[in-house]
Amino acid sequence: MRIRTVALLLTLFGILVVFNFVHAQNAPEASEKGKEVYENSCAHCHGTEGRGDGSAAENLLPKPRDFTRGLYKIRSTGTGELPTDQDLFDIITEGMPGSSMPGWETALSANDRWEVVAYIKTFYDGFKEAEAPPKQINLSGKVPYSEQSVETGKALYTELGCVECHGNIGRGDGTSAPDLTDEWGFQSWPANLTQGWNFRGGSDTEAIFKRFIGGLAGSAMPAFEGDTFPGFGLTAEESNRMLELDNKDEMTAAEEEESGQLYEKYDAAVDIALNLAEGTELSAEEKQIYDDAMKVVYEKSWHLANYVKSLMPEKRPEPAIGNNVLRSQYLQGALPAIDDAAWETFEARYFPLVGQVVIEPRQFNPTLDGVHVKSFYNDTEVAFLFIWDDRTHTTDETDEETGKTVEDALAVQFPVKIPQGPTAPKPYFLGGGRLPVYLWHWKASAPDQVTELTAKGINNAEVQEAQGELQAQGTYTNGQYKLWVKRALKTDDKKDLQLEPGVFVPIAFSAWDGANGDVDTKRVMTSWYTFVLEPVPSSKRFIYPPLIALLSVGFLFGLRAFVLRKNSEEA
Amino acid sequence: MKSYLLASLAVLLACCFVGTAFAADSGSAETEMLVFPEAYKAMKVSNGGTISGVVKFEGDVPEKKALEITKDEKVCGADEKFDESLVVGEGNALKNTIVYLIDISAGKDFDKKAKPEIDQKGCKFTPHVQIVPVGARLTMLNSDKIMHNVHIFGNNPVNKPQPKTRRKMPLKAVKEAEGPVEVKCDIHGWMSAWIAYVPHPYFAVTNEKGEFTLEDVPAGEYKLGYWHEACGTNSKAPAAVTVEAGGTVTQDFTLKLK
Repeated sequence: MRIRTVALLLTLFGILVVFNFVHAQNAPEASEKGKEVYENSCAHCHGTEGRGDGSAAENLLPKPRDFTRGLYKIRSTGTGELPTDQDLFDIITEGMPGSSMPGWETALSANDRWEVVAYIKTFYDGFKEAEAPPKQINLSGKVPYSEQSVETGKALYTELGCVECHGNIGRGDGTSAPDLTDEWGFQSWPANLTQGWNFRGGSDTEAIFKRFIGGLAGSAMPAFEGDTFPGFGLTAEESNRMLELDNKDEMTAAEEEESGQLYEKYDAAVDIALNLAEGTELSAEEKQIYDDAMKVVYEKSWHLANYVKSLMPEKRPEPAIGNNVLRSQYLQGALPAIDDAAWETFEARYFPLVGQVVIEPRQFNPTLDGVHVKSFYNDTEVAFLFIWDDRTHTTDETDEETGKTVEDALAVQFPVKIPQGPTAPKPYFLGGGRLPVYLWHWKASAPDQVTELTAKGINNAEVQEAQGELQAQGTYTNGQYKLWVKRALKTDDKKDLQLEPGVFVPIAFSAWDGANGDVDTKRVMTSWYTFVLEPVPSSKRFIYPPLIALLSVGFLFGLRAFVLRKNSEEA
Repeated sequence: MKSYLLASLAVLLACCFVGTAFAADSGSAETEMLVFPEAYKAMKVSNGGTISGVVKFEGDVPEKKALEITKDEKVCGADEKFDESLVVGEGNALKNTIVYLIDISAGKDFDKKAKPEIDQKGCKFTPHVQIVPVGARLTMLNSDKIMHNVHIFGNNPVNKPQPKTRRKMPLKAVKEAEGPVEVKCDIHGWMSAWIAYVPHPYFAVTNEKGEFTLEDVPAGEYKLGYWHEACGTNSKAPAAVTVEAGGTVTQDFTLKLK
């Protein structure tokens, strides 16, 4: 037992040693090897000269990074600083979620990745000319996650203007969101802070903190450096007082003076911060003022990072397969309306969306992440609640590029005939000639209406002549759509899907984000999933089992009587 | 593991569907920049000359383009705003043209008292074109009491939020001549202005009447250049001017859309 413990400790120690060795490594000198690996694996998107103009770049958004400018989004360093070698290595290793940049951990050896780091650095002279290593963001004052910290962070979220782009509750739906561009003039959507799994540089609290302090160079996300905080150089109480005085319509002479003094202190601290940034040596006293000011700023920033962390689930939801299959819950009586609390009693199922890249026009750069679905049914009807995040509410706009009218929309598709057995073929894509699909199509411009269609292929959908009595209601709030649909389980229309408890029914989704130019086949979609009206354990269970038990007991008694009689007869 | 494979596959797929190369037009950008002397020495200038003139626009004056105000309408939409990339006044006078000496190597020092500022008022940058000496701090003012975001492009990028309480925000001094570079506000996408970080003080920006003046120019022969956002530059064929001690030389320009 003891030997095992020692062995375990030794192994742990070994891992730590190796980890330390690997950690914060520097890249080797640029070599032919790095060039070779780069040209084989990276140049398709980033271009042979590192300008981000490889042959694949045209269709990608976010665009592949242009390495010649030295602007890197994901850094452990402050604003205006270059990334560390380790930063570059980590991005190559892990990739950038939510973009086209894959992780290369399995495709390239660690050695090759280091060679690539060294080679990428040759595209920008600043790396060679740098006199000192880039200044890293100090993570030492981390404030642990707590409800109180989250509350403080929430107030800062509004005060610092995060809502302008990231929206009231972080879904990336701020009023400035549609207009953001990156340094190269390409559309740049603000992060949906409730979807941490799409954060380019990871979503742990430290990563959030670093993005906030250092900014995302080349994007619209600014750096919240020390002196951008209102009241930099003041204590928390002083800065609160400064803001309080600012908000007064009229100040007394004493208040004027007080405000003036606070501003003087504020300006002086800003001056020191600028001197430092410009490379001026600070006196001991100035250094103290600066350090104290930064302590306040860093603490606030940790609160903000904790708040952002609180907006997202711990990890990406599991897709609706296996144990997570969508099960419609049986209810006796009327089905709940769109805003009924009954919908909150259980977890939604998650259907991740991907860009449609098979048929022209394609969508390589989806902006919609997934659809969350809940469902109830009763003896005659079924109701669904579809929920998905969309940063913009687009109802009827003309796409600048294509001239087509675009709008947000959702389509839910089922096969017309339910395939029998797990190996039976499902309709391909949006239905094929032989296996048509039955569709519900909803558009943001008519939020309380769902149209029934029959489709025999992605470009071959027809509105059904007989529109069944589908009820629908759609809402858009804080960057999220909710669509409620109710239909009878059985209909008279042969082109409709007929529903029965206990039968697994294929289901798939397509969605359109008008602001992202989605129209027709340019859309996001899911593959086939299944849902089932969860069968209610039959009420006959109260009749048959007791009956059988009763009969068995009766039989046993009869047998006993028979045996007894037989025995007595023999005797 | 699986996700990496999938991601790689996605990239490969993306590569397959690409037909044309993504063409970056980097060649023409250089001619749109100002030209700076290799070195400049500040000295006392006595009995210098003056270069002045008027810049006019030639061609059909496009209709003024009203800016679409999409948010914070109370503050931003109080008065109608127009695109300022081409402001043509009475008699075709062209505002916001930088006129400067291309090849001066010694002359007067900067006016140290002048503090370059750009105000953000009514969700518009004023002035639209600002000259900032190398080594001087540009101060961004926020007269709006709403949040702005100072986003300066170029080799010395700045992307700093200016919250509503921040009335004055000095920016780190830039150490190398550059420009003009654009300033934008990401929050109010229509806001745009230009900054030139310059190594010597012989730069002027034309006013509403298209007028400019360069004073205290040491006597000599110079190349006189201009830059305009919509009309481009004359860097390839600058005007030649001869300045006499204490004299005034006039040089007018007529610009067309580039």
